[in-house]
Amino acid sequence: MSGHGHYREAHPLPLMLSHWSNLISMIVLVFTGFYIHFPFFAGFMGAARSLHFFFMYLLLVTITARIIMAFTVKDTNQMGTKDRDWDWKNWIPQAENRHQLIETAKYYLFMRKEHVISAKNGALQKIAYLATIPLTYAIAYAGFAIYTPAHQWGIWPFFEAGLTAVGGDMNMRIIHYFLMWAIILFTMIHVYLANIYGVAPTKLMFFWIETEDPHDRYHQ
Amino acid sequence: MANVVIDPVTRIEGHLRVEVKVDNGVVTDAWASGGLYRGLETVLQGRAPADAFYVAQRICGVCPISHGHAATMAAEGALKIKIPNNARIIRNIIEGAEMLHSHVLWFYTLTALDYVDVVSALKANIADTYALAEKAGTSTADFGAIQSRIKGFVENGQLSIFTNNWFGHSAYKLPPELNLIAVAHYLEALSIQAEAAQIIAIMGGKFPHFMTSLPGGTAWYPTEEKLDGVLFHFNRVKEFVEKAMIPDTLAIAPFYLDATTYGKGVGNYLAWGVFEDKSMDPKKRYLPPGVISGSLTVADADPKKIKEYVEHSWYTQSETGLNPAQGKTHMAFTDYNLDKQYSWVKAPRYDEKPMEVGPLSRMLVAYLSGNEKVKAIIDGTLAKLGAAGKPEILMSLLGRVAARNLEALYVVGLMGDWIGELIAAVKEGDSSFFVESSETEGDGAGLWEAPRGALGHWMSVKGGKIANYQVVTPSTWDMSSRDAKGVRGPLEEALVGAPIADPEKPLEALRIVHSFDP
Amino acid sequence: MAQDARGEVYDLLAARGVSRRDFLKYCGSVAALLGLSEMYAPQIAAAVESGAKLKPVLWIAQGLCTGCTESMAQSRTPDVPTVVLDILSVNYWETVMASAGSDALKAITETVDKGGYILIVEGSIMNGANGNTLRVGGRPGREDVKEAAKNADAIIAVGSCAVDGGWVKAAPNPAGATGVSEYLASVGISKPIINLPTCPVNPEWIVAMIVDVLLVGKLPALDSKGRPTLIYGSTIHDNCPRRGHFENGEFVEKFGTVEEKKQFCLYKVGCKGPQTYTNCPYVRWNDRVSWCVESGSPCIGCGNFNWVDNDAPFLTRTSNVKLPGIGGVAPSTVGAVLGGAAAVALGVHAVVSGTQGRVGKGGPPETEKAYDRKKAAKGGDK
Repeated sequence: MSGHGHYREAHPLPLMLSHWSNLISMIVLVFTGFYIHFPFFAGFMGAARSLHFFFMYLLLVTITARIIMAFTVKDTNQMGTKDRDWDWKNWIPQAENRHQLIETAKYYLFMRKEHVISAKNGALQKIAYLATIPLTYAIAYAGFAIYTPAHQWGIWPFFEAGLTAVGGDMNMRIIHYFLMWAIILFTMIHVYLANIYGVAPTKLMFFWIETEDPHDRYHQ
Repeated sequence: MANVVIDPVTRIEGHLRVEVKVDNGVVTDAWASGGLYRGLETVLQGRAPADAFYVAQRICGVCPISHGHAATMAAEGALKIKIPNNARIIRNIIEGAEMLHSHVLWFYTLTALDYVDVVSALKANIADTYALAEKAGTSTADFGAIQSRIKGFVENGQLSIFTNNWFGHSAYKLPPELNLIAVAHYLEALSIQAEAAQIIAIMGGKFPHFMTSLPGGTAWYPTEEKLDGVLFHFNRVKEFVEKAMIPDTLAIAPFYLDATTYGKGVGNYLAWGVFEDKSMDPKKRYLPPGVISGSLTVADADPKKIKEYVEHSWYTQSETGLNPAQGKTHMAFTDYNLDKQYSWVKAPRYDEKPMEVGPLSRMLVAYLSGNEKVKAIIDGTLAKLGAAGKPEILMSLLGRVAARNLEALYVVGLMGDWIGELIAAVKEGDSSFFVESSETEGDGAGLWEAPRGALGHWMSVKGGKIANYQVVTPSTWDMSSRDAKGVRGPLEEALVGAPIADPEKPLEALRIVHSFDP
Repeated sequence: MAQDARGEVYDLLAARGVSRRDFLKYCGSVAALLGLSEMYAPQIAAAVESGAKLKPVLWIAQGLCTGCTESMAQSRTPDVPTVVLDILSVNYWETVMASAGSDALKAITETVDKGGYILIVEGSIMNGANGNTLRVGGRPGREDVKEAAKNADAIIAVGSCAVDGGWVKAAPNPAGATGVSEYLASVGISKPIINLPTCPVNPEWIVAMIVDVLLVGKLPALDSKGRPTLIYGSTIHDNCPRRGHFENGEFVEKFGTVEEKKQFCLYKVGCKGPQTYTNCPYVRWNDRVSWCVESGSPCIGCGNFNWVDNDAPFLTRTSNVKLPGIGGVAPSTVGAVLGGAAAVALGVHAVVSGTQGRVGKGGPPETEKAYDRKKAAKGGDK
């Protein structure tokens, strides 16, 4: 969305697939999570729990794989070029866009008219995306801490320490619930910003369809 | 001489210190000091109205049902809920079971050892004991085995719960054979009180602290199997009350008739009433509300006439003389000083007078209100004790003890009726047990009775949360400290005039304290 | 030696009217309670009989409602007389003991001096007003616990109040309540403590612990919070007879309805079984006649630490979160408000973006990247 060309080199196939996997996992986890929190219709609890566990593991595997990809997959992370570099540079604000953080925020808040030219991901975007990783692990940690079979595991003291720190299962349950809301809020803003300025990013991210980017024209 | 102190008073619920001034073998002044402050009223502020039911019953592990019901009634008053008829019957049965449980436990486990000399039972002739039991019409047991059980105990030297006992005191008056019968029933009563509690467990999940009488009705759904269980345990309790507890009372009482001459106390009696009738009109309760003040007439009981004083208790001194509906509870410990503050118990007064509460108050109010069944029970007992037509002798230590057991007899009769009523209602297909309310504002009071006496919970709800909560327990009335004018509370007053044969072992004072079931 | 001791205990038990058969039967029920086969009955009998003397016990009452004592009185197998007369010598137990006043308190000192006893504490330790929120014998009641803890072989904190202060400690903890472990640590006494939370305690657990101490001479396996794993190892939810209905998604929607008659799951009306670790579903209560969920009530989690604050409101799925200036709010309300606010904010943003002509294509890009401009100002690449 931030003025990058929407060609496949920006989102190589493994990244596209992991995005799909994350999306499906999140949707199922949020839906079944709401159901487990308060079953709003009858007859689905067993299925809801099974789905919740399956997609929880899938999400953990995918997100872990995605971290590995950051160091093993190259993609373009600069404007106006198809040169590729390690993907992890998309996660951490780089010298050429670190200072754009405030400018980008100003743009979103209509305090600035011109669109900031940044890399594949803007500085604000990088921070938000990076935050989803600890967020996902944190929600999984909270989930395991309130999951009875985890008591039998060798690493149970690791979860128990957290339970003690937050004051017990109930508080951990509420933390698990609020972390889910954090993910929902992230997703709402993410989906909004990814599409409000045109659907080109979506077409590429989901269907690998390339679009000529208007920004590229500006620079030719 | 220095005051005689009993601290801790044992065989009670909670913590109590009693201090008496003895001159020439007679108590001339007395102080009762409640030893514990937990702050339940403060804990409940800001919580959901229904939560009061679960938390407030935990004031008292012996009478949680009554506190639970009073808290629920306060919430229902505030949220304008009228409970279904089935819920009313179910609550009556649970409440009745608790009363039977409590009275059996009190008479045998808590107070019997003040009148029954366990060691003396060793001297009993076994054949005479059977003969006496038959004559008294009370149930028998394997008296020989029980006697040898006690013998082994005493000879072994490890006295367990009888360590440092006061047996052998001159105030123990029963013959060895009657002591042995009482010991046998002391042991049996422990399983009977548990049977009564099992009725509550079936209908309320467990006892102590039950689960089902939440605001709106009941969470319990009767099934044939569960009703069978209720009936089974009830019949065991009924048999014990009718065939052991009442005959025991009548057999023991003649040896302690001197206890009609002291221990009267303030002579004012208050009851809020308990066990709702179908109309849900408090005045028609099976044990009705009322006030007796100095004479043998009953007046209506009006909660607006209550004021709680704290001049002699450890609370913020400016917050005194308040009605519980606006009451405040903020601790302010100073020191134990009989001239200033000496207790955690406030001093509630009704129309500025101290009030005795408890089975004696309830039975007197019912008797004087013309309740036929209660009249028959009391008149019959008075006749058997040679005091026909003299109900005023009940206003004494002995009367207070006997009233509790007579009340158990009355409640046993009611319980059978209610169980039948519930079975009939269920058969007729009445399946309404619970109603909901969407109210979020209001004030309510649960004026009810615990086995030990009149109990009030006051709740004020704002924005769906408890804005104020106050409780006046029976022990607050009976164990009351002195009020602003220095007037003694009911227990303190009842102790005055009591004989004390041995200041080292003030057994007679202990009897009076226990008679209030603190 | 063992033979002699047995002979002595035989005589003792016989004298107390307990037949060998009754005694073994009792030991069998204790075995079952401990999760052992009845084949262990003779070993239990041997352990109980191994000393001619009965094990002394001090049962000390603190900031309590007497509910745990009452609960103990509900034990039927073995019944209370058996426990207090034949197995133990309960030298101090305010609620049932014959003695009173200073004569009663003397029993504590005498027992402590001799040592070799089990200390049971019921009720919260009261620290408010310098310990004067509980006064016993003219001094703070907690002093009795301190004194009795010194020489105890084992300490058992019975009921949630003794374990961690229970409801008495619930916010704002007006009377300064705390649990036995915390109190003893604060006065420098370090002793292993068996914690038996729930409100009140289940009497079967007390008996099991006492026999365990007598049987193996040491404390049972405890978790990191001092709870016996045998009793507190799994959730109520995992052992609940209504669990099948939970998995099927069959719930009681309202109390006292036909769903309750069918014994549907109480999850939606606030059951705290999923986060409460006790074996209530099979040990049950009052000689196993029933238990909370069977009576139609959701579990209120009375076996949890800090249970009132953690589990109230009891009829909702989660406890409230405290927000400054507002008070307790349900987490789902907080979530819905956040989600709603975000949706509104994004909607407003979209409208404003529309008026600024950004929708679908974004604002006009800057002509030159600020980074490049700055770099150029500094003299270009180095």
